[in-house]
Amino acid sequence: MAILRKLKEKLKKIMQKEKKSPPQTFAPQTSAHPPRILAEILAKKIAKGSPQKRKGKEVPAAEKKEILGQQETAIGKTKFYTVEAPRMPRVMPQELPEQYGQDKIVLQVRDPWWIHAYWEITGQTYERLKNELKDEFYRAKRILRVYDVSQIIFDGKNAHRFFDIQINEGTSNWYIDSAGAGRSWCVDLGLLLSDGRFIMIVRSNTVCTPIEGPSWITDEEWMIPEDMFARLYGMGFGLGRSSPVGKGWQERVRRAFISSPGVSSLASPVKKVPGERKFWLVVNTELIVYGATEPDAKVYIQDRQINLRHDGTFTMRFALPNGKQVIPVKATASDNKEERTITPIVTKETK
Amino acid sequence: MYKGYLCLILHGHLPFVRHPEHEDFLEEDWLYEAITETYIPLILTLERLLNDNIDFRLTMSLSPTLISMLTDGLLQDRYLRHINRLIELAYKEVERTRWQPEFQHLAIMYLNNFCKARDTFQRFNRNLITPFKNFQDCGKLEIVTCAATHGFLPLMDICRESIRAQVKVAVSHYETVFGKKPRGIWLPECGYHPGHDEILKEAGLRYFFTDSHGVLHGAPRPKYGVFAPVYCRGTGVACFGRDLESSKQVWSSIDGYPGDYLYREFYRDIGFDLDYEYIRPYIHPDGVRINTGIKYFRITGSESKEPYNPHLAREKASEHASNFMFNREKQIEYLYDFMQKKPIIVSPYDAELFGHWWYEGPAWLEFLIRKVIFDQKTIRLITPGEYLLENPRNQVITPSLSSWGWKGYSEMWLQGPNDWIYRHLHTASGRMTELAKSLPHRDGILRRALKQALRELLLAQSSDWAFIMGTGTHTSYATRRTKEHLLRFTRLYEDIKSNSIDENWLCDIEYKDNIFPDIDYRVHQ
Repeated sequence: MAILRKLKEKLKKIMQKEKKSPPQTFAPQTSAHPPRILAEILAKKIAKGSPQKRKGKEVPAAEKKEILGQQETAIGKTKFYTVEAPRMPRVMPQELPEQYGQDKIVLQVRDPWWIHAYWEITGQTYERLKNELKDEFYRAKRILRVYDVSQIIFDGKNAHRFFDIQINEGTSNWYIDSAGAGRSWCVDLGLLLSDGRFIMIVRSNTVCTPIEGPSWITDEEWMIPEDMFARLYGMGFGLGRSSPVGKGWQERVRRAFISSPGVSSLASPVKKVPGERKFWLVVNTELIVYGATEPDAKVYIQDRQINLRHDGTFTMRFALPNGKQVIPVKATASDNKEERTITPIVTKETK
Repeated sequence: MYKGYLCLILHGHLPFVRHPEHEDFLEEDWLYEAITETYIPLILTLERLLNDNIDFRLTMSLSPTLISMLTDGLLQDRYLRHINRLIELAYKEVERTRWQPEFQHLAIMYLNNFCKARDTFQRFNRNLITPFKNFQDCGKLEIVTCAATHGFLPLMDICRESIRAQVKVAVSHYETVFGKKPRGIWLPECGYHPGHDEILKEAGLRYFFTDSHGVLHGAPRPKYGVFAPVYCRGTGVACFGRDLESSKQVWSSIDGYPGDYLYREFYRDIGFDLDYEYIRPYIHPDGVRINTGIKYFRITGSESKEPYNPHLAREKASEHASNFMFNREKQIEYLYDFMQKKPIIVSPYDAELFGHWWYEGPAWLEFLIRKVIFDQKTIRLITPGEYLLENPRNQVITPSLSSWGWKGYSEMWLQGPNDWIYRHLHTASGRMTELAKSLPHRDGILRRALKQALRELLLAQSSDWAFIMGTGTHTSYATRRTKEHLLRFTRLYEDIKSNSIDENWLCDIEYKDNIFPDIDYRVHQ
């Protein structure tokens, strides 16, 4: 613990410094000395060319807090940026089964604190339990018993601790708040009888939640100075700008210094501001020039040749800006002996 | 003297979308857009560098699904059709904008780019893997593999046979395509779960990448943070951690480069802006407006967008490349003093970010590479393979569970809208293992059915479906694909078990889901 506390102290100091440095530039985080200042000035100069502050949409402070991977998600989405075609709702040949006919519970780790469990229990198993337990079955509660099995080979009895989550009959999955990063977990799905007995129906696999910060274990052979690691740690996260990974570790340190304007927003960068009125109107004008001549004639519009359809007709379409357009349309016979020119003149104004 | 290394990585991936049963299929446009806007501009960029004798280093992952699509005859034909239509539209645009010079020069730019894309496509006989292979063969580009269908491996931990199949199918596919074994792998979404390095080792892979906290939260503590790779305890597979500082400069829409007001606006496309009747032949046959790729505006920073100016945008890209390089120089100088060792800055990006979303991305990359080669002496470009050859001694740790997705772990792929898929996927995995173990040597139609079963399972496992469901928009295609492959798998499983394979139906799905023709179903064990 002492090691961790020391590390936190170091990190605090670094965070404080970073608050002052320009966000999009790199500035070394050694204790202030001339080269660093120089670097910052240089960096600022260069950074002038880097993204300006948005004027139109000032992002509220709360939204500026980035969630790790949020940008990756937003950009990743553009890969799949299509509208949905109004396809005939295709009838699936069949639906996936709700159950596969086995007693099973599976745990998966969502993040350092949350585990997801899904399960299925067959009708036969419930029938068997009903026969065995009779009326007790109907009084019993369905529960998930969550065991902390860190560093042990679990035999059903030797867990460090456990807690129960009551579930409804129709439920078949649950997000479990283990509140314990860096520990191993196993879950029994079973019945809690009114006399306090627990009947296990099925046991899950064992999963291990990752730790929420750097490891306390330091390799002897590769002993690493605390301050060095703290700096590397901050830098690995992009100069300590908010990043939720290592949350428990990073943000706890930060919270003391940065007044938190509430829970970090999960807003997407293209999020619409609720309540803003969105009524709008766009008007554009285009001009269609069309006509017909001998199919083998050559036609020029404003001195540029255009292609005729097989029947000698033609259509051209122009975006029409404000002002006057003089549009001579000239047709020349294939033997070049005859020529006709018609010149529409169009004036557009917008009020 | 160089004081450190910069390892630029582009992760190229698209899910397998190929629908021979439909004449036109909206989601196939993901590939066509990426070809025009990302892959071809990248190829042209790297060609220019090569022609100028620039000794650059770049790392790319090309996912097996992407490679399969880029080498598929049907999709190649369809791309040609797609780009021809775009060229026709661009011609019309050049005429239509005759009285609007501020747009006409852009229409001409698009016309030129589309023609150049078509020329490049045909110059390589429609196979865009050829140039990438060439870049690799001349030592400038290191291509790493990815899981077969980009399955998110941490959520397959319960059935490691599937992880093995994802990895081994990818490795043998890579060998077929590139004529040698891959040295590294890009774990889909940077998803790492402790222990999966064992499977990488089995497959002969030497290194992979994680997000920063994968290394930083490893045990024991990594001495050099993410600025040196570590070896996984027990396997010795190397793990490179992402540097978030350099990542954010490019990724972040708040203070990252791509959000600059001079850059092209992605969300204003003539497919949505122009008159319906005019644009009708170039949008989806159903009449839904879609992106055409012709976009005339710059981000501007306000609702009323100003016309895009390619020259100013290019200058800005150059400026951003200088800024990026400057920051890396400072970062490396600082780290070098501090670590007493040459740090490596690992900067991975989605390849499709470059060109598609960030239109100026390829130009930025080219400026950056040229500047790093000519304008400084601190940073050396390197690939992970090269780094490990030069720096074989590294610390041994167990990296932490991590991903580069939303919140850094598995939540993007495991939340309300997509958590229902896992009970089906895991059951299917278990069944595939059962088939592979019980029927190891089979021929004829049974063998075909077994191979197809593994194809369907792998296709169902693509992380993209869960990702799209997780984003909550336009999820029906992703849901449909997940169900369709699972249902096809289930039917194959039942037919194989009861020895009653319907050959007509099998032919039909072999024709539709034709990925990995040489797949070995026995790898799923």
